[in-house]
Amino acid sequence: MGTFELLQMGFGYVFEPSMFIMVVIAIVLGTVFGALPGVSATMAVALGLTFTYTMEPVPAIVFLTAIYCSSITGGSITAILFKIPGVPSSAPTTFDGYPMAQRGEAGKALGVALLASAIGGLVSALAMFLLSGPLTAAALQFGPADLFAITFMGLSILTCLDGDHILTTIISGLIGLLLACVGQDKMYAVQRLTYGSQQLLAGIEMIPVLIGLFAVTEVFKQTNSKKKRMTAEDGITGGKVDTKMPSLKELWQIKWTMVRCSVIGTLVGILPGAGATIASFLCYTMENKISKYPEKWGTGIIDGIAASEASNNAATGGAMVPLLALGIPGGNAAAVMMSALTLKGVQMGPLLLTNQPEYLSATFASMIVTNILMVIVAIGIAKVFAQILAIPYYYLGPIIVMLALIGSYANQMSIADVQIMVLAGVLGIVVKACHFNSAAIVLGLVLGSMCESNFSRAYLMSRANIGQMFSPVVNPIAFVVIIFCIIMLVTPIVMPLIKKAKKAK
Amino acid sequence: MFELIINILLVVFLGVSYFTNVLEAPVPAKVAKNPYAFQPDVWPKVIIILLEICLIINIIQIIKKNKGKESFTLKAFVATIPDFFKSKMFLGIVILTAASFVLETLGFIVTAILVLFFYGWLLGAKNLPTLAIASVLIALVLYIIFSGMLSVNLPRGVGFLRDFALLLESGVAAVKGIFG
Repeated sequence: MGTFELLQMGFGYVFEPSMFIMVVIAIVLGTVFGALPGVSATMAVALGLTFTYTMEPVPAIVFLTAIYCSSITGGSITAILFKIPGVPSSAPTTFDGYPMAQRGEAGKALGVALLASAIGGLVSALAMFLLSGPLTAAALQFGPADLFAITFMGLSILTCLDGDHILTTIISGLIGLLLACVGQDKMYAVQRLTYGSQQLLAGIEMIPVLIGLFAVTEVFKQTNSKKKRMTAEDGITGGKVDTKMPSLKELWQIKWTMVRCSVIGTLVGILPGAGATIASFLCYTMENKISKYPEKWGTGIIDGIAASEASNNAATGGAMVPLLALGIPGGNAAAVMMSALTLKGVQMGPLLLTNQPEYLSATFASMIVTNILMVIVAIGIAKVFAQILAIPYYYLGPIIVMLALIGSYANQMSIADVQIMVLAGVLGIVVKACHFNSAAIVLGLVLGSMCESNFSRAYLMSRANIGQMFSPVVNPIAFVVIIFCIIMLVTPIVMPLIKKAKKAK
Repeated sequence: MFELIINILLVVFLGVSYFTNVLEAPVPAKVAKNPYAFQPDVWPKVIIILLEICLIINIIQIIKKNKGKESFTLKAFVATIPDFFKSKMFLGIVILTAASFVLETLGFIVTAILVLFFYGWLLGAKNLPTLAIASVLIALVLYIIFSGMLSVNLPRGVGFLRDFALLLESGVAAVKGIFG
């Protein structure tokens, strides 16, 4: 079947009136779920499953894809307005989005976030459609050493998360990595660092920790604050968010940021296990490093938002590549979609696209339509969410706490997770008081087990020869990436020392 | 001083963990004997060693930075402790901790009403009757949205609280049924 016929078939599915209505509903649901703290993109797709039980497989994947893409975008709304990332991949959006909201530029921040998301999503959809086969083949060539190097690259962001407190940020990252070791180790199921707790055997759940550190800590801090409205320094007055889009000149300035992050986000999304969160942290760091004004990052500039949002949305398309072409989910949300299709009797695997190309074309069409429509839908939803800012904090604070509680509990219906969330909230206060860094802890926790298990596999495969693991001859990809990581890690530490030495001369 | 104490506590805690808790179960013999296997204790031990080094450097930096400051004494720190226990933040932590322990018994609805009311009061709500009504309404709306409409299983509580939660859920299910 030719490309034109494929496209015609895909858009035919999506523009069929009842399907189009379902896509719009999915976008609204996905954006709202994504914006709700504690409802991750995976949870949003899982919640969306209930709507697909009566659908045929192709409409089901169209619907779930729309929820998936829009939930990632929805996460940026609360990240910008409340400094609470709706989804983990929006965490870097808070670095610049919230300061912009504090300055009264919430509208512009949201505009950049939505446009960057749309561009990231469209680029990755196109990449998925055109490069599905070749890219998947390339990703399959990645061995554990390469995957370790890629994951380690995500960690190399640590030294630039907080330039003023590099040491405490590294400590925070290491604490995150250590927290990821708690429970049974992924390779040999040996119990570690549980201190006799049965609840910790399965490891520390990421969602309650994330909710605690990001949402609950914020409420605790506000509890002591004299100001009882979360008005972001009154920048967002009366809960109204102007939907003034960034000017064309401003967009032109960040064009390459959006393009680079869209491409890298897509590539990261293709790698199994490395999803939107890694993509957004990685691209934020990378853009910070190559920026002409790195000192402005984190103070509220549109480049930071564009980097984070273009890349995390691009990862959604990337994650669909191995799912559709090989039946390997690129991430958790893709795994939920895969289970939905398997439930309907669809045979996942390399033959799927050969025998039923409509899955690729329908997914592509759904992503294109979703990424365009969600800009309009998300602006409307952002306005509703912005109204929430006008609510007195004595109503809003407890509501956020209850949403956090629901998010933690619903993850695996465990009271222990709620207690972990509260503990993480308290930990967040300690972290702040000690100049540690919550984002670094989360980064370590997210990447920790992936880093360890890939290293462990690579170590075994190279017969305990670390030199061979990163040899430019045996594993050229891993070699290049590790060198790149070392440069990224060391530069922020060494550069000030060199500058100091030069000044002393 | 608080920063210093936390850093010292971390150094001690991690030091003890290094020797006692990194491995809490025997490594399978097959793995232990395999010279090419990456032993499960190596990764956490390397992280702990790196952490210890960084923490010690951090402690030195904290001491250097604050040396001679009046507030940087144990006495000054101890004097601030009662203030923390009197603070609203501490009460907030108590409310949430209590909620996490009674959630299963009281169920989501009652816990939410209590949290919404007491936390709202803590945050400075003046009109308590309005706050009480709002707490009940918000708790019910949250329950209906998440449990009734989004099928998120929230704790129902025990006894009559469970019956009430089930009644609410069946009501939502009936409404959902009407709209197909």
